[in-house]
Amino acid sequence: MVNGYKMAVLIKQVPDTSSAAGVNPDGTVDRARAKRMINPFDKYALQKAIETRAAHGGEIIVISMGPPPAMEVLVEALEYGADAGYLLSDRRLAASDTLATAYALYKAVVYLKDVDIVFTGLQTTDGDTAQTGPQIAERLDVAQITYCETMEIVDGRIHASRIIDGGIQKLETAAPALITVANSASALEHKKFANVHKVKALSRDKAEKEKRIKTINLDDIGAEPERVGLLGSPTVVGKTWKLGEKGGSCQLFKGDKPSHEVELLVDALKGGDTGVEEYVA
Amino acid sequence: MSNFGDIVVIADQIQNDLRPITFELLGAAQTLAEKLDVKVRALVMGHNLGNIPQELIHNGADSVYVVDQPELAEYTTLTYRRAAISVIESFEKPPHIAICGATTLGRDLAPRIASHFETGLTADCTELDIGDYQHKGKADPSKVGTYENCLYAIRPSFGESLKARIVGPWKTPQMATARTGALIPFATDTTRTGDITPITVKFEESDFRVKVVETVREVSDAMDLIQAKVIVSGGFGLGGPEGFDVVKDLASAFKESAVGSSRKAVDSGWIPYSHQVGQTGKTVRPVLYIALGISGAIQHRVGMSNSSTIIAVNKDEKAPIFQFAHYGIVGDLYEIAPLLKEQFKKSIAS
Ligand SMILES: Cc1cc2nc3c(=O)[nH]c(=O)nc-3n(C[C@H](O)[C@H](O)[C@H](O)COP(=O)(O)OP(=O)(O)OC[C@H]3O[C@@H](n4cnc5c(N)ncnc54)[C@H](O)[C@@H]3O)c2cc1C
Ligand SMILES: Nc1ncnc2c1ncn2[C@@H]1O[C@H](COP(=O)(O)O)[C@@H](O)[C@H]1O
Repeated sequence: MVNGYKMAVLIKQVPDTSSAAGVNPDGTVDRARAKRMINPFDKYALQKAIETRAAHGGEIIVISMGPPPAMEVLVEALEYGADAGYLLSDRRLAASDTLATAYALYKAVVYLKDVDIVFTGLQTTDGDTAQTGPQIAERLDVAQITYCETMEIVDGRIHASRIIDGGIQKLETAAPALITVANSASALEHKKFANVHKVKALSRDKAEKEKRIKTINLDDIGAEPERVGLLGSPTVVGKTWKLGEKGGSCQLFKGDKPSHEVELLVDALKGGDTGVEEYVA
Repeated sequence: MSNFGDIVVIADQIQNDLRPITFELLGAAQTLAEKLDVKVRALVMGHNLGNIPQELIHNGADSVYVVDQPELAEYTTLTYRRAAISVIESFEKPPHIAICGATTLGRDLAPRIASHFETGLTADCTELDIGDYQHKGKADPSKVGTYENCLYAIRPSFGESLKARIVGPWKTPQMATARTGALIPFATDTTRTGDITPITVKFEESDFRVKVVETVREVSDAMDLIQAKVIVSGGFGLGGPEGFDVVKDLASAFKESAVGSSRKAVDSGWIPYSHQVGQTGKTVRPVLYIALGISGAIQHRVGMSNSSTIIAVNKDEKAPIFQFAHYGIVGDLYEIAPLLKEQFKKSIAS
């Protein structure tokens, strides 16, 4: 048996698009005004690490790559019970795509030395690629379990179930490994986390927590500057445009005689080229 | 002949059944290949694949590379990774483009391949195209220039109601994963012919670090959301799980129909996650989408806005869904849904 596990949990700070603050009426996000939050999936990742530590002992180190305000999510993670945090912050990281981000985070994991398990969220709500985890695993040359729903360690073996299209796959592997954690879509999971949160809100002293968080840069982790940021990113955003607004084209039926509105609506669909008629049973 | 390498489509198969995404990828790949004057190569991995290579040809592949070995009977990241990389590296010319499904398989596999080749990968595309790109960046002078015939990987930028076109002309293959239901599948043609090349891959001990203990498949006789022609979805406006009886009842008025839902209904525990439509659920494009008690948040919208006809029922006239639905009824869904069923039957079925 290993004497506890050294775990790294990668957490990202994202804009909170579920709150109205900072979200413009057209749906675009004003990052300056938007509230910031910990990427929801990364909380599940942290939860898995906390459960693993509770069962087997070990150490949880959270890493976030981002500008200085990302310190907030590390403080929050320590509140939930992480042992230490690293903020990888460096202006040269700006505009990193997933390949470059994964390279930088891989370097940060290696810098921590002898990490047994790396946990990431399945995906972020802003980048939303689900690529960073597997790309780090490739560089670390470790096994990966993506879309992980449940995991436990028995006799030094990691037993996990992952979501696949049309079912569940149960897997077994050994550390070192990288696990990307999915929201199992059960409210229960949420509640469990709420408990962990309460139990583990050890220290409310922000200054004390910040002592356990170190800010590091590319030089500290020995990352090559030309492999991150704009220089190290093989992809760029060529162009963006607003989602085609069909605004105003909706034919709205309203009135106090619903059966009449419904009749008008269904009639509107008749004889047109919508193809709907073919599928009425 | 074009100077570019070919386009590689990584087939998505489960238990020797090609997933619909494969046909969609092939359809898109053929359109891209025509613009580039190159060929479409399908890569399929598995065991006892039988007629699958042929099926790939009939559905848009110009040639097929087959790795059919017992080690590949079940998908695992490391074995499929090894096989895919070996095949791509065996090509005389690196592929210009490689595409994969944004499925639990593709999203697991593609990033490892892209990282191995140190190339770009765009996730969850809803459109793929070819075009030129002019790079003017000041910070990275080595990249400045005009690039022709780049892959345009187009995806919604979630939460920001934007679409973004991502390009990465500096490395090959230019890679993307595409969401199921977003691309137009190739029209099957059983007279098509093409070369089928079997390839044997040498695995390493380390490729077997992860063991599949068991695969549990959901047995469900319900119509797959992605293939359904008519989808009736319920949202938080249903007020409780029993609301889905009304949703199901309306769905039963249609052939090839299925029941969908918003995430809020799933999170409330009213219906399983497999019914969820949207950013973190499924992308659908049925002939008819009926939304009952769904507000139309951007995360829901990106999963269904490509439906041919959208009908929304909501009691709030200001609900965002009325901005992009084609037809809307302002009213109580519990009153409207049964009337809709009746009216469809009455005025169309007869
Ligand atoms: C990262 C992230 C990912 C997400 N992914 C998804 C996703 O994949 N899919 C998804 O759907 N959402 C997703 N969401 C959630 C999304 O933002 C919305 O919260 C959700 O879609 C709202 O669900 P709803 O429309 O059912 O509920 P609500 O927004 O609460 O809307 C309910 C509607 O029902 C109407 N109503 C109430 N009673 C009645 C009645 N009796 N008759 C008629 N109308 C009635 C109300 O007027 C209201 O418009 C995601 C959010 C985030 C942050
Ligand atoms: N800047 C970052 N800092 C820390 N972790 C990150 C960062 N970006 C991505 N990750 C991790 O990678 C996961 C997948 O992110 P993404 O590929 O952006 O969807 C996230 O859930 C995080 O765990």
